[in-house]
Amino acid sequence: MNGVVHGLLISAGLMAPLFLVQGWLGEARVSLESATPNKPAAAVATVAEEGYCTPALKQIVRRVAGACGLIQQEGRGCQPADAAKVVALSDEDFNALFLPLASRVHIIEYDANSVTLDDAAKDAVGRAWADRRGASFFFVVARASPDGKADVNQKLSEGRAKAVLEHLKGTFADPDIEKQVGLLWLGEEFAQLPETFCSWQRSRAGLACDAKTINRSAFIAWIDCAI
Amino acid sequence: MDPEREDLPWQRKPDADADRPVAAAWASRTDPDYDPAAVTQDDDAPAPYAPPPQRTGLVPGWLATLLVAIAAIAGATFAATSTHDFARHLDGQVHGVTCSVLPGGEPSLGSTGCKAAMLSPYSSIWRDKIWGGVPVALGGFAVFAFLAAIALYLTWLPDRSKRESGWLLLATLLPVGTSGVFAWISANEVGTFCTVCVGIYGASAAAFLFALVALVRAPAGSGSLPWGRWAIWTLEGVLFVGALGWAWMQWAPSERASLKGCGTLVAEDAAGVLLQLPREPNAASALMVLDPLCPACKAFETRLGQTGLDRHLGRDVLLFPLDSRCNWMVKNSLHPGACAVSEAMLCAPAAATTVLDWAFREQARLLELGKQDEGLLRKEIAERFPAVAKCLGGAGVKAKVNKALRFAVANALPVMTPQLYVGGTRLCDEDTDLGLEFALRRLISEANR
Repeated sequence: MNGVVHGLLISAGLMAPLFLVQGWLGEARVSLESATPNKPAAAVATVAEEGYCTPALKQIVRRVAGACGLIQQEGRGCQPADAAKVVALSDEDFNALFLPLASRVHIIEYDANSVTLDDAAKDAVGRAWADRRGASFFFVVARASPDGKADVNQKLSEGRAKAVLEHLKGTFADPDIEKQVGLLWLGEEFAQLPETFCSWQRSRAGLACDAKTINRSAFIAWIDCAI
Repeated sequence: MDPEREDLPWQRKPDADADRPVAAAWASRTDPDYDPAAVTQDDDAPAPYAPPPQRTGLVPGWLATLLVAIAAIAGATFAATSTHDFARHLDGQVHGVTCSVLPGGEPSLGSTGCKAAMLSPYSSIWRDKIWGGVPVALGGFAVFAFLAAIALYLTWLPDRSKRESGWLLLATLLPVGTSGVFAWISANEVGTFCTVCVGIYGASAAAFLFALVALVRAPAGSGSLPWGRWAIWTLEGVLFVGALGWAWMQWAPSERASLKGCGTLVAEDAAGVLLQLPREPNAASALMVLDPLCPACKAFETRLGQTGLDRHLGRDVLLFPLDSRCNWMVKNSLHPGACAVSEAMLCAPAAATTVLDWAFREQARLLELGKQDEGLLRKEIAERFPAVAKCLGGAGVKAKVNKALRFAVANALPVMTPQLYVGGTRLCDEDTDLGLEFALRRLISEANR
């Protein structure tokens, strides 16, 4: 009798946990088989796409970037005639392209008839470049004030744009710079900045600013659009 | 039958003969043909055997043994609850974990001591052999189930003596000792107590105490020691543990799609932004995506160290600070200050491990400092690591951090930390806790082929 009771209790004591464990592991197996493997749990890393990147703006940026050789990575410079052709906008509309970038833009100011970056300008270029975040294109839009001859101003604005690029290449030694920086020199005949831009981030902040000095400049900014 | 037997209530007749001499009363219980009238007292005749007087007390021996069974059933319930929670996590999904000292409590999501205990490396054994390993709670379940069965049997056993009760007491030492060890681990290694585990500790202690009472209350045994019976019971206990362990190994779902990985790296580090961690020769090439101020990264690093598998990995580190000050992919800083610490690591790659160790060690404080005033955090970094002082915050290192983030973009990495790629294959998220050892060994083995 003792043996029977012992056997019954031991058998029941063993079978009950075995039965439960089999059930639990069976449930886990079914749940595992029905689960979707490799389901992405988080967003995927991408370049920036800020709110101001409207389809219209992206189209303009793409045209400018394409014309300047950025997308094809063939060249870099974009002269005003080319820019006017691909943008086909009024001066106001062209400047409006950059208005949403107010917090991103640095205006690099130059002396009259000079393409040399002063220390404040070099510092501003470095800070602008470092503040890339998720942007894909770095635009340098250089200008000249309407004093003097148009062809001289054309050369002057080209020199100012290239001075920014040379400074970036010399400072950061980044092989990708060639693929990321687009230069646009507008001379005096296209998209002059109105005096209101004096309130933007300028390399000579605190110094006098007017309609002439604000156009002896290069307007630099990263564009946060996935083009 | 043992003459020193201790009657159970259901084994006694109504005490109609309570006023009769002990021998007569005893005979009336044991001999159905007993006639009290025929009994004559003869001083010269040898007196029939009279059992010793019944021990009296608050807890008779049979009740103490029954209480051992009840304590064991409670322990089995707690251990079963814990085992069930563990089993549910074998599908690699997110589930609640039961964390109540009352049996049958509802599982709850979120961070609890029970979850921390379950995800700790101490919750199971043989993790490298099957996914998740065999839970320690399963062993507890088996031991308590056996103790309950054997204690119920001993409660029923008419001739229970100190020999049986003594064996029972020794058997209860196993859960008591194990509970002591795991309570120490909880306090010193896991850093938190799991309330279900506390239930197991309590049930173990109760079983031991009632077994001690049962031993004290039990009559002494006679004859030779029952070595055979003790051996059989011990083997039965081993059978319980062995059978449940074998069943787990057979039935637990170990193979799964996630073991093939969750994505691969496609782009190389052309910009040279990956940091090399110290490595041993012949280690499998691996990439760790981490944020120095990410608590999950710190926990993962600790887990990896506990498995010992970190020594088999030649790890590069991709810094991916989840801090909106430098990472445009996060709108709100999850780990404010992580950009500054990342810059420090990139400023002095040779000291990157030192900076990382410091950041992990002081993580909570640095996170708070980064949240309050990043400038102060940068100042502290510069003071602690003079080698990075000049470079920290400069355009060059900011560009480097940006390049690191762009490496993530080029490889379309998930915006999360930590991530581990072994031989270019990403360890799936569902394999980073219970299944870490099993899945990582597979990936390392694949990478070394």
